[in-house]
Amino acid sequence: EPACSDEGLDTFMENYFTSQRDNIFRNVEVLIYVFDVESRELEKDMHYYQSCLEAILQNSPDAKIFCLVHKMDLVQEDQRDLIFKEREEDLRRLSRPLECACFRTSIWDETLYKAWSSIVYQLIPNVQQLEMNLRNFAQIIEADEVLLFERATFLVISHYQCKEQRDIHRFEKISNIIKQFKLSCSKLAASFQSMEVRNSNFAAFIDIFTSNTYVMVVMSDPSIPSAATLINIRNARKHFEKLERVDGPKHSLLMR
Amino acid sequence: MEEDTKPLLIPVGGDESNYGIMNIQFNPEDFKCKRPFHVEPTNIVSVNDDMQRVTDEASAMNKRIHYYSRLTSPTDRALIAPDHVLPAPDEIYVYSPLGTAFRVDSCTDGYGKNSSIVTIFVIWNTMMGTSILSIPWGIKQAGFTSGIILILLMGLLTLYCCYRVVKSRKMIPLIDTSNWEFPDVCKYYFGSFGQWTSLLFSMVSLVGAMVVYWVLMSNFLFNTGKFIYNYVHDINVTDIVPGTNGSNKVICPSAAGDHPPQNGSMVFSSGNSTGFELFEEWWNKSQTVPFYLIAILLPLLNLKSPSFFAKFNVLGTVSVIYLILLVTVKAAHLGIHLEYNWFTEDEFFVPEFRILFPQLTGVLTLAFFIHNCVITLLQNNKNQENNVRDLSIAYLLVGLTYLYVGVIIFASFPSPPLSKECIEQNFLDNFPSNDIMSFIARIFLLFQMMTVYPLLGYLARVQLLRQLFGNAYPSVFHVLILNIAIVGAGVLMARFYPNIGGIIRYSGATCGLAFVFVYPSLIYVISLHRAGQLTWPVLIIHIFIIVLGLANLIAQFLL
Repeated sequence: EPACSDEGLDTFMENYFTSQRDNIFRNVEVLIYVFDVESRELEKDMHYYQSCLEAILQNSPDAKIFCLVHKMDLVQEDQRDLIFKEREEDLRRLSRPLECACFRTSIWDETLYKAWSSIVYQLIPNVQQLEMNLRNFAQIIEADEVLLFERATFLVISHYQCKEQRDIHRFEKISNIIKQFKLSCSKLAASFQSMEVRNSNFAAFIDIFTSNTYVMVVMSDPSIPSAATLINIRNARKHFEKLERVDGPKHSLLMR
Repeated sequence: MEEDTKPLLIPVGGDESNYGIMNIQFNPEDFKCKRPFHVEPTNIVSVNDDMQRVTDEASAMNKRIHYYSRLTSPTDRALIAPDHVLPAPDEIYVYSPLGTAFRVDSCTDGYGKNSSIVTIFVIWNTMMGTSILSIPWGIKQAGFTSGIILILLMGLLTLYCCYRVVKSRKMIPLIDTSNWEFPDVCKYYFGSFGQWTSLLFSMVSLVGAMVVYWVLMSNFLFNTGKFIYNYVHDINVTDIVPGTNGSNKVICPSAAGDHPPQNGSMVFSSGNSTGFELFEEWWNKSQTVPFYLIAILLPLLNLKSPSFFAKFNVLGTVSVIYLILLVTVKAAHLGIHLEYNWFTEDEFFVPEFRILFPQLTGVLTLAFFIHNCVITLLQNNKNQENNVRDLSIAYLLVGLTYLYVGVIIFASFPSPPLSKECIEQNFLDNFPSNDIMSFIARIFLLFQMMTVYPLLGYLARVQLLRQLFGNAYPSVFHVLILNIAIVGAGVLMARFYPNIGGIIRYSGATCGLAFVFVYPSLIYVISLHRAGQLTWPVLIIHIFIIVLGLANLIAQFLL
């Protein structure tokens, strides 16, 4: 954990980059670097960033690089685009010959969730195939919407919807709701496995899917019995497990 | 999944004074304001019929705040939402997790969802009072031209003062004034002197209105009873008071004083004359009818909550519209009778400019009076930024209504046989009791006043007793004594001084002095002075307004 004081931070960073360097930077698939937009020491931040990039270039040149310009809510609303564009240009310039993707984020709006969802999306090797299979699955079982979540973070990896939905923030909301529920379950030493929510207008099923994912199926025809949908999900599970195993153990969705 | 049981965030160091490094601005003492901005459904006391959906952004934010608050222990303030990410107070909703919501507002009744049209209508409806009956008389007292000019000028002046009342809360720094009415503002600036004087003048306006109502109700009840009696007994009455001939009769009751002393009518009928005399003895406008009203209205005044009568609010609107209709029809039949003598008296006409014009301004002060409740009425406006515009439109409509009724009655009053001086303080008195249209008008107004009277009594009781005793209903005796006093005042006036024009102008000028002229201007000047923004022109203008108010009051007693 980073220490609170600046001197401690500097020492930690120096250690990080010198003694631990090869250990840390070998076999890296993804580098996600977070910048504080309010930082007063841009030079130092960039210096550390470049050190990281050097290490990546030496040890894992194929790694994907993502930069988050974070705490954007502390910037005045009319200045945000301008400041982000500036930072993005600087970072792109500094990162050459490596390529980096930049996001502006804040925990107080949907940008952080969107950024992480994009990152995860780019990390999945066969994401187009996954989406196609998801669409087939949804159409066969006549679902309104099917979502695939990463197991731990509940980031949406892939989704299919058969018609326009009103709420564009629904992914983050579901994610937060389920994560909160998981927390509550864990306080009782129980672990969350599955959930069914229904009323006269819809039925939604959230269930463990593959070893890395959860699935959520939304049916707008409440007359279809739950058992039918659950059987469908169970059968689809085997198919999607096979898809995941195809690329072998070297692939992992997210490093913890 | 053992990873799930570990908290995702471990606070570093328990020292809460270190929060400065976290770049979040908040007041550590003010914990409560950082709660998620929704309330459990069980705390929703009453729900609107049409539930609004909360915006998607607000709903997502709510979920986010909820989740973050579970990630750390309650003592760790790292994830408490800072002020700048929460929606503005007027965008905060109370809603259930299912997504339906209604907006939280500081006012208790209504949820700030009245459209502009409704707000304008409510203001118009509240301002339209019985003073409409005295406007033609007022124009007569001031002269035709100066009357019209005065209506327009008084309308503008009272509108400006009303604007000052509406803006008075905003200029108070550092205090949350969202629940305040104008008397609270007076109390802030002038202490308990302000509080008690604003109560006193508010009571003057309310009790004055109630006395006027009693006089009018006695009048209307009397005329209604007389009409019914004459209709039932098929009595053909020809009043000996001077009037026009023909079907659209207009009479001049005050000229009857020049005629033989008996204050009655000659009867040419085939009916029982002793029965009629008995009726006349027991059904007299000033001697007996005011007392009969006590039996109906005193019990109603003692009701704890007259909210039942608020449902009859629509009768007021119907009455005014009917009066406008009556005035138009009568004018169409009678034609226009105008002659312009600028300063000289005439046998049939009055000069265009008369020295008695303060009597009109006194009436108009009460006619345009809404200053003690305009803040509450505007609070329910959906688009608060349109408040000034809507208030101005409402004043314009009120002014036009008064102008229309006053000018049409004055212009169409049949002047060659009768003098314009005959226009009564209640213009319906100029129509005989057997006139169908005015009979209907009197019935409407009688019922309307009977439903508004308990509401006025309730307002007076709540304000006075709460101020004096801290409780709006301390005991049956307190309330009964207050009601008897108010009713007694009404009965006395109806008996000895049933001149509604006079009552309106005296009470209007008195309460107008405080609420229309002095307090709004004085408060504005003081607040500018405290903010260091007072300039000489502003000071002089507002002192001039205060002087006008004083002159208005003094002139009522001199002229």
